Amino acid sequence: MMETMLSVHDLGKSFKNKQIISNISFDVKKGEIMAILGPNGAGKSTTIRNIMGIMYPDEGTISFQGHKSIPRHKIGYLPEERGLYKNVKIMDILLYLAELKDYPLKKAKERALRYLKKFNLEGKENTSVEELSKGMGQKVQFIASIIHEPELLILDEPFSGLDPVSQELFKNEIRNLAEDGTAILLSSHQMNLVEEMCDRLFMIHHGQKIIYGNMDEVKEEYANFKCTIRGKNDHTILEQLPEVQRVEQQDDTSILYLTKDVHVTSWLKQLPDDLNILELAIDRISLHEIFIDIATDKNLLQEEGALYA
Amino acid sequence: MRNTLKVAKWEIKRNMKNKSFIISLFLTPVLFLFFFMLPSFFDDSDEDAGTQVFVKDELGVFDHVKKMVEQNDLLTWDLHKTDLDQAGIEKQLDSEENAAYISLTQSALENGKVSVLTSEDVDENFMNEVRFLEEPLNQLRIQQLGLSAEEMEVISRGVVFQTVDVNTAVKEHATSDEGGIVLKRIIPGAFAGIILLSIMFTGMMIFQSASQEKKDKIAEIVLSSLTPEELMQGKILGYFVLGITQAVVFIAFALPAVIWKTDIPVMDYLLVPEILLLVGIAILGYLLFASLFVGIGATIEDISTSGNFQGIVLMLPFLPFIFIGPILNDPSGLIAQIGSYIPFTSPGVLLLRLSLLEEWPWTEIVIAVAILIISVWLFMKLAGKIFKTGILMYGKNATPKEIWKWIRA
Repeated sequence: MMETMLSVHDLGKSFKNKQIISNISFDVKKGEIMAILGPNGAGKSTTIRNIMGIMYPDEGTISFQGHKSIPRHKIGYLPEERGLYKNVKIMDILLYLAELKDYPLKKAKERALRYLKKFNLEGKENTSVEELSKGMGQKVQFIASIIHEPELLILDEPFSGLDPVSQELFKNEIRNLAEDGTAILLSSHQMNLVEEMCDRLFMIHHGQKIIYGNMDEVKEEYANFKCTIRGKNDHTILEQLPEVQRVEQQDDTSILYLTKDVHVTSWLKQLPDDLNILELAIDRISLHEIFIDIATDKNLLQEEGALYA
Repeated sequence: MRNTLKVAKWEIKRNMKNKSFIISLFLTPVLFLFFFMLPSFFDDSDEDAGTQVFVKDELGVFDHVKKMVEQNDLLTWDLHKTDLDQAGIEKQLDSEENAAYISLTQSALENGKVSVLTSEDVDENFMNEVRFLEEPLNQLRIQQLGLSAEEMEVISRGVVFQTVDVNTAVKEHATSDEGGIVLKRIIPGAFAGIILLSIMFTGMMIFQSASQEKKDKIAEIVLSSLTPEELMQGKILGYFVLGITQAVVFIAFALPAVIWKTDIPVMDYLLVPEILLLVGIAILGYLLFASLFVGIGATIEDISTSGNFQGIVLMLPFLPFIFIGPILNDPSGLIAQIGSYIPFTSPGVLLLRLSLLEEWPWTEIVIAVAILIISVWLFMKLAGKIFKTGILMYGKNATPKEIWKWIRA
């Protein structure tokens, strides 16, 4: 099995008397992309800041390859609150940040130029940051976080504020890094991106673990089938159908949430003939919906989670 | 420590590449020297239009007067001998702009009244300057009475009332000794003062730097590579070097100017053992304010919306100005002593006092420096705590209550 780079165990932190996170435990392994998901204020950034040693946890332990101390030179970090020195040349900033990591300057310069080119910022190395657009600034920050070839890369909301083209660029680069063996921990609420690229995920809400596991397993476990029917139908009739957990109705559209063990084809066969069906679609609940579900406290998952547990 | 040096190096490099820093680096001494020289430019222009002084000499003392003028450095006097009588000279004075007429006649000597006629534009000082002739003319009068040398001396000395204050008697003695002794103490003091001021100004820049780093949100990236303490110490060290650079540039401008304009043997006065203590006090002063500023800077994102509390702290370096008046009055008085014991004022007050006092009050100095060192240590600790939390708190300025909580945490 792959080597564990980062291991978080029973992490807890409170501000004033309010518990921000509690009992957070997960691992990040070499070469995998691990996502921390959760709505705003769930405790994602707090967890990451505790890992980075910017905050100190009240409870729990964090270890890097079995060591308690943070190997700062091996970690790359892109914080959620982003910024760079305004009136300084890009290359100067990148070299300074590389120097802080004790990375050889000559190599840092080469890497900086290579990445600037990759991110369509070629020839901008002597431009000062204040002349860059927000997206360009974000690319520079991303380069800054990986310039010293970190073994563990922590990205807090790497995609926020990026246009789709840049998102794709970041996504590919993050994937490349993982393939080269970098352990990556990222937080996000862009579910589609997470769904596409992550190996494992940890979903957090109100500072507590909701889901933790392999992406495919999670999907299989939590992303049940749902059936969307357009047409006038009575709520009670739909509810009485077998394998239906919950029905959401809006105007002429009804969404039937099916149980986990449903066999789709046989379920379709037994639908009553008198149903008014203008359109019918069957698909799995997306990560996005699970996320919204959790964020709005609809408790769907909690029920299922309880079942699952 | 290595990280501290990296941060210091970065701050120095960043500012040295910054145009506005370079400009102010050279502009400050140039401006200062300009205003320092300004009065002498005006003096020069006066010199050109010297006062035409016509002397009617019936007593045969013109050569003597001429010598006296030279001795008294009255460069504005342009002496001429004239034979015109009063009526004649009045006409001439009407046409001249800056001229005077002194009539040294036998009758004037006998009456003891020398009439001096001046045209419109004669310097107000002229009547004061003319007084230097009183003494020699008196001598001349006494001589004509035919007294013996001893009698002459007694009379010419006259009677003068002299007040001698018991307290100040010693000091009077000291200061009236020779101008050189005053300079001997003031020059090292002024030197340390320049260093204190220069590093104080860059100390203000620490505040800017910490506040800017918070505003630009770069702090978190930097802090992923080093500890807050290292970042803070690096800033303090970096701006210290920048301040010293400013002081060096300043002195490089000022020293040649002073040596060129005056005859003071500056270097001899400067290279004395006392300078070490004075510069040491200046550096302690810097450390105190630097730690104060770096801490406060970390609590302020937007200076325009910062509260009164931070404003008051930023005014602290100007506190010593309150003490300047009382200290000049009495450099070893109660107020001066109090000023030496308050950490915020003690660097400025000590430098000023030590420049004025002939005899250094060593006990007071030791106590004051001890207080200063303890305060520096304490403020470094406090600033470290404030900096650590403050620099990562985005979006708002910290309130005094919050700061107090961080300190206790």
